[in-house]
Amino acid sequence: MAGLSAASAVRLLRRSTLMLVLVAAWELAARLHLTTDFLLPSFSAVMRRLAIDTISGQLPMALAFTLYRALLGFALAAVSGVIIGILIARVRLARWFFDPLVSVGLPIPKIAFLPVFVLWFGVFDESKILMVAFSAIFPVIVEAAAATESVDRILIWSALGLGVSERRLLWEIALPAAFPQIMTGLQVALPISMIVAVLTEMAMGGEGLGGTMMQSMRFADSPGVFAGIVAIAVAGSVLVKAMEIIRRRLLVWHAEAEMA
Amino acid sequence: MAGTGITFESVSHTYRPARGRPVLALDQVSLAVREREFLALLGPSGCGKSTLLYLLGGFLPVETGRISVAGAEVSGPGPDRGIVFQNFALFPWKTVKQNILYGLEKQRLPRVEREKRAQEFIDLVHLTGFEDSYPSQLSGGMKQRVAIARTLAIDPAILLMDEPFGALDAQTRGLMHEELLGIMERRPKTVVFVTHDVREAVYLADRVAVMSARPGRIKEIVEIGRNGRPAPEIVKSREFADKVEHLWDSVRKEALLAQVQRSEGG
Amino acid sequence: MSALARYLPLLLLAALWEIVPRLGLIDASSVPPLSAVAAAWWELLRSGDLVSNGLSSLQNLCAGLALGVLVGASLGVLMAWYRPLDDFVHPLVRALYPMPKSALIPVMILWLGLGSASKIASIFIGCLLPVVLSAYNGARGVDRVLVWSALAAGASRRAVLWEVVVPSALPEILAGTRNALALSFILLVSSEFVIGQRGLGYLISFLGEGGAYDSMFAGVLTVAAVGFLADRIYLAIMRSALAWRD
Repeated sequence: MAGLSAASAVRLLRRSTLMLVLVAAWELAARLHLTTDFLLPSFSAVMRRLAIDTISGQLPMALAFTLYRALLGFALAAVSGVIIGILIARVRLARWFFDPLVSVGLPIPKIAFLPVFVLWFGVFDESKILMVAFSAIFPVIVEAAAATESVDRILIWSALGLGVSERRLLWEIALPAAFPQIMTGLQVALPISMIVAVLTEMAMGGEGLGGTMMQSMRFADSPGVFAGIVAIAVAGSVLVKAMEIIRRRLLVWHAEAEMA
Repeated sequence: MAGTGITFESVSHTYRPARGRPVLALDQVSLAVREREFLALLGPSGCGKSTLLYLLGGFLPVETGRISVAGAEVSGPGPDRGIVFQNFALFPWKTVKQNILYGLEKQRLPRVEREKRAQEFIDLVHLTGFEDSYPSQLSGGMKQRVAIARTLAIDPAILLMDEPFGALDAQTRGLMHEELLGIMERRPKTVVFVTHDVREAVYLADRVAVMSARPGRIKEIVEIGRNGRPAPEIVKSREFADKVEHLWDSVRKEALLAQVQRSEGG
Repeated sequence: MSALARYLPLLLLAALWEIVPRLGLIDASSVPPLSAVAAAWWELLRSGDLVSNGLSSLQNLCAGLALGVLVGASLGVLMAWYRPLDDFVHPLVRALYPMPKSALIPVMILWLGLGSASKIASIFIGCLLPVVLSAYNGARGVDRVLVWSALAAGASRRAVLWEVVVPSALPEILAGTRNALALSFILLVSSEFVIGQRGLGYLISFLGEGGAYDSMFAGVLTVAAVGFLADRIYLAIMRSALAWRD
C-alpha cells in the first residue's frame, strides 16, 4: 500500500482515538487518585519507569535473557518440529509412532512438565529453553505434517511427469508448496515461545522479564510490574510483526501476496 | 388502493458499500400490484429486483420515494409480508417442525392451535413424516418446501419470493412450480416473485414486470392473461410462446447492457 | 484403526519407562520406573493430597473458565450486534489480544493477593479474549436472510438476538471455548506454580522441591491426564450440541 487514502486515514484516526482516550483516562484516573498508586500506577509513572530501566540497561538485559530463551527454544522447536512433521507425513513408521504422542500431547498443559525439566536439566537456562521448545513444537509438527500431506497431488504428478526424481521432488516441489502452512505453524509457535519463556522465568526466577516482574511484585513495586507487562507486550508484538514481514517476504510468490 | 394492494411511488435506492463509491441501484421505480395478483419481477442479475423486494419487505430502509401496503407506508419487516429466500434461510439448529412453529410462536397462538397449524402446513407441502428431521438431512427441494410452509403458516396477506427455486435442479423446480400454483389456488395471496428465468415468470405470473439493467427501472409490464386457465394448458398455447419470446428478447437486451457495465467496472 | 492399535506407541513408551530405569540404563532417581510412579500416585490418592489439591484446582479452573466464557461470549455477541459497542471495544480487544495473558499473573497477585482469587482472575482474563473473538466472528457471520426471516415472522430485534444470532454463532463459540479450555489449564498450572498455596500445580512443585520425584511424576501425569480427558469430554459434548450440523 503506497499512501493512505483519506478514508483509511480517517479510520486509523478513529481507531487510535480510543487508545489515546484510554491512555488519557488511565492517566487521569491515577492523577485524581481514583484508585491507589499501588493498584494502578499512573501511565506517566509506568513510562518513566520504563525509561529509567532502559537507560540503566536493566530492561534491555532482562529482555535479552527472555528473548534468548524464547528464540533458542523456538529455533529448536522449529527445526525439529518441521522435520518430525515431514516424517509423519511421509514415513509410515514415523506416523505410527508420533501420531498418538502428538494427539495426546496437544491438549495437555505442557507447562505442567516444568518441574520435570528442572529435575533433568537444572534450574538455569537449559530447562527453560527446553520447556519452551517442548511447548512450541506441537503446533509446528501439526502444521508441517498437514502441509506436507496436503501438497496438491496435481502439482506432484506434473513434476513426476516432467521426470523429477523422488528426492528432488521433496526439496524442490513439496517443501515450497507446503511452506505457507509450515510458516503458519511457526507463527503460532512464536508467541507460545515467548509466553512460556516468561512463565518459566516467573516460576523459577532468574534475570529475564518474568523474573524481574516477580521481583517487583515481591517488593510491591507496582510501576515495576506494570512496566514489565508493557515491555513483554511490546516485545511480543514486535516479534509477531517481524514474523509477518518475514512471511510476506518469503512468500512473495504466494497468492497471498496478491491480496496485500 | 384497498385491501392488500401494494404501491411503489418513485422508489430509488442507493447502495453504499463499506469500500468504494455509492451505486444507484433503483431509479424512481413506480409500480402498482393489485390485490391477489401474482406479479413477477424479471430482469438480469444486478438490476435491483431483489433490492426492490427487500425494500418492500422492510429489510432495507426506503430513503427516496414511498412504498405502501393497503394504504399504509412500509416501515419495517412484519408478518403481513412473508418472505421466502433463494437459499431457504432455514434455522439449521431447528427441526422441520420447529422451523415452521417459529412464526406461529411469534403470533402467540395457543399451543394446540400452533401444533395443528404446523402439521397442516407440513402436510400441505408433502413433508409428512419429516417433522423431526434437521435441514442438513433434507434435499434442496425439501428445504424449499419447508421454507414455503414456514412462511405460509403465519398466513401473510402478501408473499415475497426472492428467486426461491434458483438453487434447485430443473426437475425439482418444475415440481415446485406445480406445488406453488396448487397452494395459490387453495389460499390465494398477493405474490411478488423475483426471478431471472423468463419461462418461470410467464408460467407462474398474472403480470410480468421487466426491469432494466442497473440502475433498475420498470422497463415494461406484460399481462399474461391467464383467464383462469390451468398452467399446463397455458403453456401449450401460442400466446405463451409469443410472450416468452418477447420477454426473452427484452431481458436479453438488459442482460447485455449489464454485462457491459460489469466489464467496464461500473 | 482401533483405539488400542492407535495408542500402541504410548504403551510401548510406558513399557520402556518401566524397563529402562530398572535396568539402570537411566538414572532411576531422575526417571523413576513407571511402577514406582504408579505406587506414588496411589499413595497420593490414599492420603487425600491428590483429591484435596485436585478439587482446589478444578474449582478455580471451572470458576475462571465459566466466567471467561460467559462474559466473553456475551460481550462478543453484543459487540457484533450493536455497532456503537463494537466501535468502542473492538480496537481495545485487538490491541490486547497479542499480549500474553500469563504476564498478568503478577498483577493479579498485586491486586488480589496470594490466593484463589488471583488464580481465578488469571484464568478468566486468559480465556476472555479468545472467546470474545470467536463469539464476535460467529455472530457477525450470521446469514442475514436468517435474521430477515425471523423479522418477517414477527420477531422483535431482541428476540432475533437470542433466537437467531446466538444459536447461529454457537458453533464458533463452542470452538473458541475449546481453545479457552486448553488455555485455562495452562493458566491454572502456571498460576499455581507462581502463587502456590493449593492445587495440583502447587503440589507438583512442592513435591519436586522436596525431592519426592516419584510423587512429582505422578502429579504431572495426573495433570496431563485431566487436561487430556477434559478436552475429549468437551469434544463429545460439543459434537452432541452440534448434532444438527451433520
